[in-house]
Amino acid sequence: MVNFTIDQIRALMDKVTNVRNMSVIAHVDHGKSTLTDSLVSKAGIISQARAGDARFMDTRQDEQDRGITIKSTAISLYFEMTEEDLPDIKQKSDGTGFVINLIDSPGHVDFSSEVTAALRVTDGALVVVDCVDGVCVQTETVLRQALGERIKPVVVINKVDRALLELQVTKEDLYTSFQRTIESVNVIIATYNDKTIGDVMVYPEQGTVAFASGLHGWAFTIRQFAVRYAKKFGVDRSKMMEKLWGENYFNPATKKWTTKSSDAAGKPLERAFNMFVLDPIFKLFDSIMNFKKDAAFKMLEKLDITLKNDEKEMEGKLLLKTVMKKFLPAGEALLEMIVIHLPSPVTAQKYRVENLYEGPQDDECAKGIAACDPNGPLMLYVSKMVPTSDKGRFYAFGRVFSGTVRAGLKVRIQGPNFIPGTKTDLFVKSVQRIVLMMGRSVEPIEDCPAGNIVGLVGIDQFLLKSGTITTCETAHNLKVMKFSVSPVVQVAVECKNAADLPKLVEGLKRLSKSDPCVLCFTSESGEHIVAGSGELHLEICLKDLEEDHAQVPIRKSDPVVQYKETIQAESSVTALAKSPNKHNRIFMKATPLGEELSLAIEGGKVGPRDEFKARARVLSDEFEWDNQEARKIWAFGPDANGANLMVDLTKGVAYLNEIKDSCVAAFQWATREGVFAEENMRGCRFNILDVVLHADAIHRGGGQIIPACRSAIYAAAYVAQPGLMEPVYLVEITCPETAMGGIYSVLNKRRGHTIGEEQRPGTPMYVVKAHLPIAESFGFTADLRQATGGQAFPQSVFDHWQLMNGVSNEDPKLIEKILSIRKRKGLKEEIPPLDRFLDRL
Amino acid sequence: MSNSLSGPSNFADDGSAVIARQIEVHHSRLASNAQDKINACSDIYEIERTVGAIKERGYKRIALQFPDDLLPDSGLVAQLIRDQTGSAVFILADTSYGSCCVDEVAAQHISADAIIHYGRSCQSPTSRLPVIYVFGKQPVDVQDCATVFDGFFAKDKAQKVILMYDVIYAHCVESLLGILEGEKNYTNIVKSRVETESNLGYVLSSQDVSKVAVGCSQKSGSSYCGNKQACSTESSSSCCQSGEKLGDSTCSSSTGGCAKATSTMQQAEAASTGTTTTEETPSSNKRRRFGRTYDLPEGDNIEDYTIFYIGDESPTLSNIMMTHSKCETYSYNPEKKQGRFESAQVNKALMRRYFLVQKAKDADVIGIAVGTLGVASYMTMIQHLKALIESKGKKAYTFVMGKLNVAKMANFMEIDCFVYVACPENSLIDSKEFYRPIVTPYELEIALSKSREWMGDYVTNFQELLPDDDKIGVDKIKISQAQLDAASDREDEDGSDVDSDGDDRPHFSLVTGQFKQSKKYTSNKEDSKELSALIEGSKDLTLRDKNTSVATLMSSASGEYLQSRQFKGLEVKLGETPVELATEGRAGIARGYKTEDGYGDREKEKY
Repeated sequence: MVNFTIDQIRALMDKVTNVRNMSVIAHVDHGKSTLTDSLVSKAGIISQARAGDARFMDTRQDEQDRGITIKSTAISLYFEMTEEDLPDIKQKSDGTGFVINLIDSPGHVDFSSEVTAALRVTDGALVVVDCVDGVCVQTETVLRQALGERIKPVVVINKVDRALLELQVTKEDLYTSFQRTIESVNVIIATYNDKTIGDVMVYPEQGTVAFASGLHGWAFTIRQFAVRYAKKFGVDRSKMMEKLWGENYFNPATKKWTTKSSDAAGKPLERAFNMFVLDPIFKLFDSIMNFKKDAAFKMLEKLDITLKNDEKEMEGKLLLKTVMKKFLPAGEALLEMIVIHLPSPVTAQKYRVENLYEGPQDDECAKGIAACDPNGPLMLYVSKMVPTSDKGRFYAFGRVFSGTVRAGLKVRIQGPNFIPGTKTDLFVKSVQRIVLMMGRSVEPIEDCPAGNIVGLVGIDQFLLKSGTITTCETAHNLKVMKFSVSPVVQVAVECKNAADLPKLVEGLKRLSKSDPCVLCFTSESGEHIVAGSGELHLEICLKDLEEDHAQVPIRKSDPVVQYKETIQAESSVTALAKSPNKHNRIFMKATPLGEELSLAIEGGKVGPRDEFKARARVLSDEFEWDNQEARKIWAFGPDANGANLMVDLTKGVAYLNEIKDSCVAAFQWATREGVFAEENMRGCRFNILDVVLHADAIHRGGGQIIPACRSAIYAAAYVAQPGLMEPVYLVEITCPETAMGGIYSVLNKRRGHTIGEEQRPGTPMYVVKAHLPIAESFGFTADLRQATGGQAFPQSVFDHWQLMNGVSNEDPKLIEKILSIRKRKGLKEEIPPLDRFLDRL
Repeated sequence: MSNSLSGPSNFADDGSAVIARQIEVHHSRLASNAQDKINACSDIYEIERTVGAIKERGYKRIALQFPDDLLPDSGLVAQLIRDQTGSAVFILADTSYGSCCVDEVAAQHISADAIIHYGRSCQSPTSRLPVIYVFGKQPVDVQDCATVFDGFFAKDKAQKVILMYDVIYAHCVESLLGILEGEKNYTNIVKSRVETESNLGYVLSSQDVSKVAVGCSQKSGSSYCGNKQACSTESSSSCCQSGEKLGDSTCSSSTGGCAKATSTMQQAEAASTGTTTTEETPSSNKRRRFGRTYDLPEGDNIEDYTIFYIGDESPTLSNIMMTHSKCETYSYNPEKKQGRFESAQVNKALMRRYFLVQKAKDADVIGIAVGTLGVASYMTMIQHLKALIESKGKKAYTFVMGKLNVAKMANFMEIDCFVYVACPENSLIDSKEFYRPIVTPYELEIALSKSREWMGDYVTNFQELLPDDDKIGVDKIKISQAQLDAASDREDEDGSDVDSDGDDRPHFSLVTGQFKQSKKYTSNKEDSKELSALIEGSKDLTLRDKNTSVATLMSSASGEYLQSRQFKGLEVKLGETPVELATEGRAGIARGYKTEDGYGDREKEKY
């Protein structure tokens, strides 16, 4: 524990080259928080006495109770490098003291949005992988997100003690298991790598992989052993590091290094890694756990480890823990790795700027970000809101990318919908105070230069969840974060006592602020809806809502999911709709957009803001569109960015421009409320084939065109084999073989279907992957636990929209589904007849 | 609560809809024999009562207002009245709003002294002319109705029930009540009354006021009086200063006023117990909604009551259910002789309205659609709404467009939300099919004013919405409203150190789940001058529009909307189009110009 005054910390913040902003990311239960604890206990700058196995970063009571992290928490650490180690840092640095701003993130998929928010403000990521479980679904998700944000990863293979104590593996087995894990990490990195950050694959021999036991508080990288042995063998450190991994063997007889696994006589040689790195550890484990204390103490002497007298009295695991902590202190190894291999803000922002900034790359803001210039224009991204002790108020938590933010500074607060040059979503206000956020406590500071992470007071009323803070008038936004999860599961809440409604509304507002992903709104039928990414997420949100944000008793409905309306074929006839005055006619046909294009639109690859020629090229090259047609996209919808298109295929129609706005308005409306269940449409393309307009402008105004165009869209969709899509989870279940039967029976009951099943190499655990309709997933975890005696752990993440069998207006099951949705929404319980929309000539 | 909106539209209509409209005419009810016809007519249209009232007050010019479906009988009725009174009688055409409302404007065209309104009425108080309501009696099988009633309530004869009815069944209520209380032994039935006359005091001398002054409460809230005598015993200022104001003050003796007076009630009551010979027994529980008045026994809450409604499904029923959302409602349909439980959809409907309130909250540009020219103080209401909207920095436009329809409303795409000022029966519009939501003044009030909260109850009466001092003038309202909001704003701040910028803070929109920044449209010229000076002076806000020729961003909502449109009307394509000789333009009418080959012919073929 290092004790600093705020002034000292503030001084450190100015040396940006010696700052590291990093997040700890991993699959749930791989030991992030425990590992972080060992770092905090080693180097936490300001923290209370409690550290170690207390899960310091889990600040909420329910986090402690459930044993999972729910909110990401930041903490600053201080680390002093030795002079001789400094040359190993391949980027600019200044002095030996380093500040590490670490953000511990939740591992459960439902809280992935917290990870996204953490990644945005950091430049490096410590990816924790369980050495027994290996790379899991969430490891992949978070790694992919990190790489998408151009964040450099380093890897920790955690829980090595488990491998040694529980599985009793041999050295070579352990080595292969390590290698396999690293390989699978590298496969993911190779898949999603962004060329601009260079090679970010991890290599043990370069020291970007650490091996650790968070629980016991020890960790090492090859580098540490290399430093030890380099002296002994009198070789260069980096050369030694290379020798200690991979196909390198040492022949003790000849004292020669070789790359062959056997000596001249064909006798097998021991791998250098096993011999020099694993062997001492194995021996220590063996001697201590088998109560061969004498042998152990002898070894300790050799390793220069001195124990205090009371420590010598210890036995078994406790002694092992103490010894290992002294032998290979986790803090040192990990912090060293972080400082050496993760980029400083100065290094990182150079390549991150084009990913971060929406505006032109040559304006002063972009330049300020690229240079991490504390004297440049202020550019700060608020990634999330953190509740203060003051009810209803929040700290805006974010990262200064350029300039310096100070208390009292008048800033422009640009929300996610800000459009440069307008006043939309823009507020000019002053920052009241600035705080450093350190785990559970906050410390006020005067100002904060570029490259650091801060909390702002006094702007929470102008931003809901995230936004850009700047002083530059011409600044564009920093890119809005893209979450890997979306709020697909909804519940309706109401207060038990009607008079509490205002409190509930205020509570919903606070809830929306406090979570990056949750969505609170009112449905058309007037119910208050809370939408979250999964059951657990919702459960936590509703608990917060009831206990903290609204503080009134609430009643909640059963969870429901959203559906999407789509079409499965081209319209069988051309749909015609007449305007109310019968003087205008719109002829339209609908065709399916295709899943690939829908995904491209949803993924932002094709969007309404693209330059239309470039977009047309993409559409014609990749999605087989006619280039001319592709240039005539009128609109994306719903909300001007959804996966439905309206395309103008008319030829030589007079006044067509004049009705475009009305048609687009009708299209947005119709795609937002589909024809059957009033759910959003998805994957539909509406072609306007011909339009007959009245010659007089007043007779073809919005009043005539909007109803007509809406009817035409409905009619076109109606005759195009309309269908319903439901959201589907990808579920990954880890379990022993004996539990497999239970899993299948639960999956079958819930319309789930298995897509893969494999044994984790080197373990008795199996991994079952399945698709499960979200509508069937409520209570799945509990069911699964029951069916498998608590041995199976599912992780579910939204995967795709799946077409349900049948045609909306024909299939009895689908009709029943649609009617039940309509009933819930308070609509007339009938399938609207076609002739309501389709006119005849 | 859906309203039929198939009325004639002003635009783009050849009028055929009106001519082709099918109207149910009740010929059968009048016998073919001339004398029988007259007798039947006198009975159904209450000629005797009408004539009596006319003679008593000496009206000289009388307007008869019939809904379209009663027009066939109008001639006979007019003739009978003319013959019996000797006054000049005029028959008005149906209004362009709803036939339930009294069309004062049309009556003023012929400078009538009084209006006789026939058919179903919404009982909205009027402001200018005396009105005699003739509902036209519809037959009810009273015995059957009582049996149905029995079916619902036989379990508990002491159950508290309010009897309500469609006005056309008003005549039979007494006999029904007789049966229920007499033969069936129900003990707690409260009857509601509808008024058959209103505003009669308008032309009366002040001496006669006591006869018509029905339960007017004093604005100051210090005392409550049932009649003139009680008033004078209280000795303070008279409750009805002049006959002219009577219309309004009678109206405001509604729940709001009554509730306020409750605390001082006991006193007044003590004073008035001796004078119970008057028409109305003063009671703190007197309520008036849609012209229906009912007295609840002392100490009872409306929530404890069940409503029994006689009549068909109609806007009246929906309105009663909305405003009494906490009461269970049963209805009896005299035509089909069926009874049923109605309450189920009310909550759904209310929830839907709640959503509309949220939409209204998000609106920046609000259209005030005027749907009445008869309901009392509608002008005050419009002024009040305007003041309210402008006090929030939003933009208000006023529309007079007769009956609403989808096509008309969608012509104004720049409007975010409409508020419909109309009589209670017409103002609840299911705007699902409309491009923009349509809310009632009450809903807008909830949406914009911080002093009101959505509590699940519902007000459709203007008088309950207007601030108490509505007669003092619009300016006052504006100020009081502004003060009110300022006060509640301050409360909101609760000590946080925000420097008076509370007003431009974004609000959390429950429609989108995002923050919504309200645009500011200040119509005040000084303000806009200030603002423009601000823009020029400060560099925080930049106007970067290239073609701001039409609108500067600040004050014009429609100008701003035009900017956002892709098609902006005449586009000057200077130098982009080749110079050509002038050619002959088009001739003919919009339906099909001669120059457009075959457009007109094509149309004809298709119809």
